[in-house]
This record gives sequence, C-alpha cells and structure tokens, in this order.
Amino acid sequence: MNVPAFFRIFPASRAHLGAYRIAVLLAGCIAPSIFAQSAPRPAGPGPTPAPYKSLSLAQLMDVEVTSVSRRTEMLTEAASAIQVATGDDIRRSGAMRLPEALRLVSNLQVAQIDSRQWAVASRGFNNTTTNKLLVQLDGRTLYTPLFAGVFWDVQDTLLVDLDRIEVISGPGATQWGSNAVNGVINITTQSARDTQGGFLKAVAGNEMRSASARYGASFGSGAFFRVYGKHTAAEDSITPAGLDGEDAWRMTQGGFRGDWERETADRFTLQGDVYRGRVRQPINADIEMKGGNLLGRWTRTFAPQDSLVVQSYYDYTQRLIPGSFAEDLEIYDLDLQRNFPVGTNHRLVFGGNYRFMRDDAELGPTFSFLPGRVTREWYSAFVQDEVKLLRDRLRLTAGLKVEHNPYTGTEYQPSVRAAWKLDERRLAWAAISRAMRSPSRIDREFYAPSTPPFAIAGGPNFKSEELLAYEIGYRAEVRPGFSFSLSTFLHDYDDLRSLEPSKVAGGPSLIANGITGLSYGAELSVDYRATERWRLRFGYTGQRVSSKTKPGSLDAASVRSQVLDPKHYASLHSQFDLSARTALDVSVRQVGRIANQAVPAYVEADVRLSWRPADAVELAITGKNLFDRSHPEFRDAAIRREIERSFNGSVTWRF
Amino acid sequence: MALLKYFPSPRDRVLPVRRPNGGAWRGLLAVLAALLTFAPPTLRAQGASKEYQVKAAFIFNLIQFVVWPPAQFASDEAPFVIGVLGEDPFAGALDAVIQGEKIRGHPLRITRSNRVADLMNSHVVFVSQSERAQMATIIAAFAGRPVLTVADLPDFAARGGVLNFYAEGARIRFEVNRATAQHAGLKLGSQLLGLARLVGPELKTEAR
Repeated sequence: MNVPAFFRIFPASRAHLGAYRIAVLLAGCIAPSIFAQSAPRPAGPGPTPAPYKSLSLAQLMDVEVTSVSRRTEMLTEAASAIQVATGDDIRRSGAMRLPEALRLVSNLQVAQIDSRQWAVASRGFNNTTTNKLLVQLDGRTLYTPLFAGVFWDVQDTLLVDLDRIEVISGPGATQWGSNAVNGVINITTQSARDTQGGFLKAVAGNEMRSASARYGASFGSGAFFRVYGKHTAAEDSITPAGLDGEDAWRMTQGGFRGDWERETADRFTLQGDVYRGRVRQPINADIEMKGGNLLGRWTRTFAPQDSLVVQSYYDYTQRLIPGSFAEDLEIYDLDLQRNFPVGTNHRLVFGGNYRFMRDDAELGPTFSFLPGRVTREWYSAFVQDEVKLLRDRLRLTAGLKVEHNPYTGTEYQPSVRAAWKLDERRLAWAAISRAMRSPSRIDREFYAPSTPPFAIAGGPNFKSEELLAYEIGYRAEVRPGFSFSLSTFLHDYDDLRSLEPSKVAGGPSLIANGITGLSYGAELSVDYRATERWRLRFGYTGQRVSSKTKPGSLDAASVRSQVLDPKHYASLHSQFDLSARTALDVSVRQVGRIANQAVPAYVEADVRLSWRPADAVELAITGKNLFDRSHPEFRDAAIRREIERSFNGSVTWRF
Repeated sequence: MALLKYFPSPRDRVLPVRRPNGGAWRGLLAVLAALLTFAPPTLRAQGASKEYQVKAAFIFNLIQFVVWPPAQFASDEAPFVIGVLGEDPFAGALDAVIQGEKIRGHPLRITRSNRVADLMNSHVVFVSQSERAQMATIIAAFAGRPVLTVADLPDFAARGGVLNFYAEGARIRFEVNRATAQHAGLKLGSQLLGLARLVGPELKTEAR
C-alpha cells in the first residue's frame, strides 16, 4: 500500500476525529487475531509463555529476582494504583526518549509540548512545570529543586537497558521521597550482569535520528560493568500556522554501570552519566545544557525480605538559556533504608535521607531567583509497618514520614493502607494519605523583573501545598492471562500556589497559597494475553480536576491556569508476534480536550514493525502520530507548537 | 457534602462540557469486552512476580531429576500432580510452565487446595508461605509418603521438608533434606544434589 493513499483515509480534519478512526484502528488490532488463529504456531523456540522454563537449574540459580529499590511486591498484591511497563514493553514500543516510554503506563498523562519539552502528570495538575510528582531514575531524583518539576529534555538513558518503569498514581510520600504528592515514577535500568555483550543501534527518520552503542563485560568473580554512548538529534516542531517551531535539538550522552555481588549477599552498584545538549530557540542564541551524576549503592541482604540499602549520589546540572535564565546546580544525596520482618506477621521498613543543594541562578533580563546563590539542606526519616491479619487475608500498612525542609521546617506525611485479599487472584484495597509539596525555589525566591521595582516579589510566606487523598482500588486476575486493575481517587488539596496582587497600589504581587483544589476520578487498566503471541493492554482514566480561590485571595487567573487536564485519556497497546522473528506493535491513544488551553481532543497512533533476519540483527520501521500531519498536545494557542507525524527506520546489532 | 461545592451544577458551568468521541469509546469498550469474552483462554505467566516465575521454572526443572516409586502412578498415562497448598503465589506462572508438558509420559496437572488431605496423592506439594504457621503439622502429614514437599519457608527442609528455596542476595538457591527424601522413597539425581545445600541429618549410606 502506498503511504499517501493510506493517509487519505485519515483526513486531517478534526471534525471527524473519533469514531471511524478508532473503528479502523481497532480493525487493525483485530486483524492480527484472525491471522493468529489461522497461522501455524511457530515451531521451536520463539516467544515462550514461561520465560525461564528453558533454563537449566544452574542457569536458574543465576537469575536475579529482587529489585534493588524499596521492597519488591507482587503486582497483584500491591495496595496502590501501581502500573508497570517492562523493559520488553519499552523495547517493543520504539520509544526514543524517556517521556515517550512513559506513555506505556496508562495512569500517566503524557503531553508533548514541543520538540523537546513534555508535560507529564498523574491525577491532574499537569503543566509545563508539573510539580507534584516524584521522578527517579535508578534511585536518583530527577525533579529539580528549582521548581519541583522535571526538565525532561535532559533525562535520558539507553532505553534498551531499562528494566522497568513503575508508576504509582496517588501519594507515595511515606515510603518514597518528598514531592510524591500525585504520583511516583520509578525508572530502573538492568543490572550490568544482565546487559552483557555489545549493542549497536542506528535510527534515522524525518523527525529524529540517533545512534547508540553499549558494551558490557565481566571482571570475573561476580563483578560486571557496561559502558554506553548515545547521540540524538531532533528536528523542529511546527507552529499552528505551519512555521518552523525553532526548537530543534541534539544531545550526546555517555555513561557506565558496574555491579558487583559477593556471596555473602552484598551487592554494590556504581553508575554515572554525563551529557551535553543544545536546543535552538527563537531570537536568542541556542540553549545549552550539560550535566553529570555519580551514584553508589550498597545492598546487604541478611535473609529474604531482610535487607539494608545505603545509597549516595552527586548530581550536577547546568542550563544556559540566553535571553532568560542560567543555572548551575549541584546536589548531594544520602539515603538509607532498612527492611526486615518482625515476628511472623509484621514487616518493618524505616529509612532516612539527607540532601544538600548548591544552586547558582544568574540574574536574568526578565526574571530572577533571589538570592541567586543559595545552599539548602533537607533531611527526612520514615517508618512503615505492614501487619498481616486473618491468615494473611488482610494486610494493614501504616507509615509516617517526617521531613525537614529549609523553608517551612518540619512536615508530617502519614498514610494508612488496607489490602483485603478476597482470594489468590482478587485484591481490594483502600488508602488515606496526607502528602505535602514543600516549597521549591520558584515558590519563595522568584522575582520579576530582576531589579526593583518588582512586579512579583517572591513568596515570603509561601507554605507547603497539602493533599489529603482517599483511594479505593480493586485488582483481579480474572483468569490466567487476563487481569485488570481499577483505582478510584478523591484528592482534596489545600494551600495551592496563587499569585496575590498587592493590596497597595503599585506594590508587587506575592506568591501565596490562595487556592484549594479537588479532583476525583477512576483509572482502569486491562492486561489481556489473547493468544500466546498477542497481548493487549488497555488503559482508561476519567477525572475531574477543579480549583477555587480561598476567601481573601484575589488571584482569579491561577484557578484556570492550574487546571490543564483532559477529562479523560485512554490508550490501547497491541503487541503481536507475527512469527518468531517478526513483531507488529500498535499503540493508539485518545486524549480529551484541555478546556483551559483550548487544546482539542485527539486520537493518535504509533505503529512499529520489526523483523530479525538473524538472531543478532533487528530491522524495524516505525510510524508515530500517524493520524494527523501535525497536532497540538499542550499550551495556549499563542505559544503552542504542534507535533508532526513521523517515520523512522532502525537497525540493531547485538554481539 | 462540603465537597460538592467545588462542582457547580451543569447549568452554572463556566466551561463548555463536551464529550468527544463518547459514542466511539463506548463502542470500543463494547468491542473490547466482546473480544475478551470470546477469545480462547490461554495460560500465561501473567501477574506473577519474577521470583515466582523463576521458582515455577525451578520446580519444573527439579522434578526431572527426581524418581518416584512406580506405585505412585495408577497407570502409565496417569497424571503427574503438582499440589499447591494454601494461597497460590505463582499467579499462573506454574500453569504456564507445565502447559503441554509430560514427565516420563505422565501429563502434568496442578491441584490447589487449602487442605492437606486433598493433596496426599500429589507427587509434588508446594507449601505456600500462607501456611507458615502450620508448617510443622504439614511436614508431619507428609512424612514417609512419596511426596516431594517444596516450600520457600525458613527451616522448612531442616525441619523435615524435602526441598526449600532460599535467597542468596538477589538469587534463588535451594536446600535439600536427603534423609526426608530417602524416608519418602524419592530418589534425587546427582545433578540436583550437586547444586543443593544439604541440610538435616547425615545419611549413613553414601548414595552418590
């Protein structure tokens, strides 16, 4: 089929978005099932339903089963709205950047703002600077203390080496770090032990090109390492008028990871990355960013579910945005966690964290962070107990996190969770939590313009934003190969950020806590293995997010500008093995309208066809955002960029 | 009730409420539901933790190296039964591993129960962690019977179970009580014993 003819079926007109496209795509998804039933089963080794079955006893003894971070839990037993994308899901998707991979997790709303920026949130309050998520990569916190959000444009790793992405929507503040108000994104890479050998990949397409390489080997005696390098270049996005978005970018990154395991159940990990990137911007010179990090972790396992983890890292980032802003940021972090059973029914986890930051934000022409140079410290401790009652049918978890931040002092974040196991395959759970978003620099120290008289003079009295969250969920494995999870939530926010006009004429506005918010909704995810070779994952989130000013607040604008969330979003991922060597992956996503930005609803699809002519070689072609020549996902029309349809081809070689 | 104040009645809504593609999504859900209903059931290692996927593979692998007394099978085609006692932690992984497999001509079956009595004629019984409190009773119930008892409970093998999984760092190891196995009439292959940590009383006759 020639490509233009294919797209004439999907005219770019938005008036027809919806029904028939879904019908067509669905037909595309159903077609494989017909094929699946008529095609003979692949002979010999192919995708097997039991991945470890073919291993020998000795090989089985070499497989790692516990993840390093926090306590590992069976997904079906987790008493929270957790969703997981595995490394395999990510590799199959053809994602080229981390935020793209996040689209595989259905409880996240992921909007691409322009060529490099992303707005990522769960349970609402999405923004270009979403500030209510805790995001971690291999235990390193990615959100910046500048505004408590993530600069997604510099967060990258070799995606083929990812082990999994876990997303908990809703508060995770007790056991996880701070800022886990609306959710936790926990990204982990595989141990160096599991990424041995060489890997080369080249991708070329009309919007992005990248080349990456990795080599992993053993030092012997249980010590393994890998090194990797990656270069990516992306084209400009497009403005609604069809002009160049002037945001083309390129990034170069390299890194390593070493894992060493001693027989006495000590595991050591040392890993680090360095990167450098450049982004085009209108009028001014290119944005330049660079950074690096080094992380060490020691895990001692005394017995199953009895362990100690000590982790420390250093993280440096620099960002120069000519015409607006420049920052040099250093972070030191030390984290400790102890995890052990008490008696037969209790499991205790406690830990502590210390974090030090040195930030240097230069005076900009239009705004500044004052004082420009600061050092800050945070420390926290948490304790959590899980008790099993009624012959393990009922699990109660209670925890408290106490955190000291340099702005508001000590904050308390308690949570209580209950999980009721109806039988081996069905679990109902409920939770009540309090989570705080403590101030970041932007909440207290933001001034505009840079010199008096100020129009905005910081937030001297800004205190932490508070959330009380109520959640009820249910997850079930209806039968082997078919499971679903349904989570519902009610989030009650207080002291959300507002900008209060001065009460005296000509005085500056101040950042304050004049807004309350409320959101409620439901998240459904369905995982269905239709046949041995065809898996479907479906996700749907329906939510209502609202905010209002508190008595005494004069900020009428923020109430609207804070709520930039679609009322629903849904996704369907189809993973189909046409044969042992050929795979077809189709993802369709539907996102509702963002009313306060007048971003129209859209449906988009990604399709990837891959073929392995030999065991070591994979060829793939990928089409992304296929339904429109270009479409917007976020931001007001005046400054909006649109995301274009794109195609790429890739070659992968393993040795 | 106070919560409702945030949500004005439809008439007061400032923003137009539109439900794009509402019909389409209902349609999609309906089709999806139909698909789910009519698709053939297949067994997949779905939802099982990696730990139990690996343990399921271990069990399948281990039984290749164990010989049961012939009397334990009613006929040459009689099923080989793996019992799961208590809450099944495998979440389908065990089903996926044994699907379509035979052991020396015997098709594999899984029986799940919370009662020891239901599993007395199994060839393998996996004792779930949910049965931890009754461990001693369970071991006593199977003593002397040709059943390969398997668990992942501390001291299970040392106290008279046949085989027990334990963790060493992030990896799974297993220990074997040879005295229990011998008493039960089970012959354990040297490949198995060579990888196992041996616990329990020393054997008088060196079988290897």
